[in-house]
Parts: sequence; structure tokens; C-alpha cells
Amino acid sequence: MKVRRIARVLLYDEGVAEKLDVAEIAEYLRDKLRKVPVEMKGNPFASCPEKSPDYARKFASIKIQDVSRKMASEQEPLYGEIQYEKRRILGKTKAFGILYEGFHLQQIFSELIAWEERTLRFAHIFFTNRLFATWEEGDKRYHARTSVYGFPSLISTTGLVEAPAKPREYYLLKQQYERMGKDLLELKGRFKGGFIDYADEHLTEVMKGYAMQAVFYSLTGDPFCEDKGCRLYNAHWQEELIFTQLESQYEFCGQHARILDGLRRK
Amino acid sequence: MRRFSPVGEKDITRAIVTEFAKQFEEYVECDCIIIGGGPSGLMAGRNLAKAGKKVLIIERNNYLGGGFWIGGYLMNKVTVRHPAERVLAELGIPYKEVGSGLLVADGPHACSKLIASTCDAGVKFANMTIFDDLVLKEDSRVAGVVINWTPISALPREITCVDPIALESRVVIDATGHDAQVVKKLEERGLVKTKGFGAMWVERSEDLIIEHTNEVHPGLIVTGMAVSTTYGLPRMGPTFGAMLLSGEVAAEIALENLR
Repeated sequence: MKVRRIARVLLYDEGVAEKLDVAEIAEYLRDKLRKVPVEMKGNPFASCPEKSPDYARKFASIKIQDVSRKMASEQEPLYGEIQYEKRRILGKTKAFGILYEGFHLQQIFSELIAWEERTLRFAHIFFTNRLFATWEEGDKRYHARTSVYGFPSLISTTGLVEAPAKPREYYLLKQQYERMGKDLLELKGRFKGGFIDYADEHLTEVMKGYAMQAVFYSLTGDPFCEDKGCRLYNAHWQEELIFTQLESQYEFCGQHARILDGLRRK
Repeated sequence: MRRFSPVGEKDITRAIVTEFAKQFEEYVECDCIIIGGGPSGLMAGRNLAKAGKKVLIIERNNYLGGGFWIGGYLMNKVTVRHPAERVLAELGIPYKEVGSGLLVADGPHACSKLIASTCDAGVKFANMTIFDDLVLKEDSRVAGVVINWTPISALPREITCVDPIALESRVVIDATGHDAQVVKKLEERGLVKTKGFGAMWVERSEDLIIEHTNEVHPGLIVTGMAVSTTYGLPRMGPTFGAMLLSGEVAAEIALENLR
């Protein structure tokens, strides 16, 4: 497998996800990558508050309204939608739950990268609690994602909870609970440990694996691994996700461990 | 044995007509007209009236309260999530915590307390009245509503021919629930474009409804479930906290506009 050199890893964080410790992730990456500097850039909007109305409009334009209809182009947002996005950007609200078009979102975040740092030699990774989805031609619908890898890579803490499927029994019971106005926390208690939840104590640990997937995308062009025990495994179920990121006896498969060893020696 | 005062039929009729006409004439022009007497509309009206504003709530049914009488599946327990218990306490509604951050109250008790509090604050009502259209003034600013009697809508237009009437107000609030009837009227004119419903996502929908409670067009504020339809937000389950808090936010925005 051909491995490209990356000169730096840059981590961005909107700072809204509870229990996400980006400093700990940065430390983890430094340990794994050794000679590749890892830099924390903080909130990507902090450097340009004057542009918040522009970005608010852009975010409000890429909401997915119907998961079974492909978004043709950016839509004309309503005033209230722009105001909500502006408050989000300025840190005046932490309310979330909008579904965005993943590749359009990636485009918006790419504009936040400093001009002098726009090079493929840098791996840019954005942590966000925005939920995004990408269109699947196979079944003609949008699917929620935990991550989109590219320039830059986006990793969603909300996506981590909502995208990999929970046990089937959970969804059947959830429907009943919602209809009857019953406490969803009670339902979650019944499935405790079966999936990653909001403000989960394991969130940072799991996110380390996703950060490594983003790094491997920059290194090799392929963020994933077929090995279910490797942190690069593309988990579609919460059960797989927990095994891959928290329970596996090893962190990386032989092939990916060798690539990391090679980086350390260079 | 106690005996009622001797009052004739004509006196009773005269009392009804006189008092109704007097109030109606007074509210042909007011500070705020709210379309919909559900929890968000009542809450918005109550807070506006408490701030000294002249408020009229239009309700298409005979009864007020909308869906606040019952919770999910026709069961008369209503749920709210933290921090909406603050409003329950303010209204004097008994509740109990059944889970972390989940409160339950009796629907009839909660709804009647909210209605009583709204009345006590000075809000007036036009029930059995349907919203028919909007009054738009210069720059398409919303400046009132056109109404008619509810039974009129059930009859074929050919045999009724009852023209509606218009009321004026400085602010209109759409609290019509899922239908977002007032916003939809603007949409018919091409002045806004609603987004429709998103999928049900109870955990996130309440926060977003409050965040999006706002002026959707000059002179028109949207509150409650109408917010969800207008902005295509995730659909809610039968939990009412967002309705009450959204009503509060709508009142704050209306007060800003009325300054």
C-alpha cells in the first residue's frame, strides 16, 4: 500500500459536544504518529465572527428536508433558519438536530481553513455535533453518517450516536415509547452499554479511532479496514462500533500497525 | 328554597348580545391576534396580556386548549421535559417527576389551569371562529386577519355566501399547530416557502422548536408545532414543554415588535 507523507494534522472543534476531549485525541495522535505534528485549531469560527451571517446562510441552505429526495442544489433559507445558524456559530445556542447534506457541509468547512494551510500535505479534521447524511444511489435515499473523509474530514458526534444502527428491538420499543410519551431514558437504560449515547463517557475514546480513519485517508486514500478488530473498521452497527473501538484485543491490524511503525521510524 | 332572580328570555338574549358586541367592537383592533388556542397560543397570549397588551385569541373549536387535554394515545396524562416544569410551577399545575428530567401532569388539570391563567391575564377569545385570510399592508406586512364563523366552513359556499370580516392588529401569531395555517396563507401568495415535516426525533425537536420560534415574515410570528412545519424540523412526540416555552418566546418577540 502506497503511503503519502503528511506534514501536519490539524484538529478543529466547534466546541459543542459534551464529553469530547479533543486535547486527549490530539495527544493520542501524537503518540501514534510521533514525527507528524498535531495541532489543535479550536473553534473554526472564532477567527472570523464577522463572517457569521455568510456562513449562517450557507448552513441554512443545505438542510435535508426529505431523506428520500436528492437535494438538487442549495435551497433558499428562511430568515428564522439563518438566525438559528447564526446563534449556533456565535455559540449562543447548543441546540442541534438539523440534518445537513454531508458533501455540501464539507465544502463549507473547507472554506474555514486558513489560506496558507490549504494543502493536501496537511490532514484537516473537523469535529462537529452537526448531523449529516450522504445520498446513496443504491436505495435512492440519504443515510446519516458518522464521518465524511476528504479535504477536510468531518467527524460528527451526533452521527456517532445516530448513524450506526442500534439493535432492532430498540427501534421497535422506541416507537412505542414515543407514541405513548414514555421516558426514553428508561428505554436507554434497558439497552445500556449496547450503543454510544450523547455525552457518553466513551465518546473521546471512540473518536480516537475515527480520527485515525481520517489520518489514514490522508496517508493512503483509504480510511477503512476489513478487519473488525482494527480501529479503521467501518462499523455500520453500534455493536460492531463498540467492539472495534473499545473491546478489540488489538488497536490496529497487522498491515495498518506496520504503516504506523514506519511513520514512527521515518 | 333559594329562588333565582326573575329574568325574562329577552333580558338574557340582550345581555349576551350587548356584552359580546361590546367586546367584539373593542377587539376589532388590538395589539396582537393569536390564531390557535392550544398551549403555545395560550402561553403567548397570557404573557403578552400580563405585559399589558390587548390580545385576542381566535379558536376554531368551541373549546380551548388544543391537544393539551390529553397526552399520547388518548391518555390524559401530559408530559413535559426539564426545564419546562418551571412553567408548570408558575401556573400552579401539580406534577411529578417520573424519570430523570421527565415530568407528568394530569391533562385536564394542566390545561384548565393554563386556560384560567390566560383568562385571568386579560386575554379575550373568539371561539368557534376560523382564520380565513390575512390582512396585508404596505410592503406585505401582516396587519391583521380575516375571520368567519367555524360552521360556515362546513357548508357549501353556494348556499352560505357569508362574507368574512377583518380584524386589525400590530402583530399576528400563528399558533395553529401542524397545519401552520397562517404561514400557509403567506405561502399561497409566494411570500414564504414552508419546509414541511421532518422525521420524528423527540430528543432534538423540542430544543429546535424554541430556537426557531421567530418572526417568519414582517408582522407574523410563528410558535408551537407550526414552527416545526414552517422550518421542516424533526417531528415531536406527545411532550408539551416546547409548546409552553415556544409560547413564551413568541410573546417576548411580539413585545419587542410592539415597542
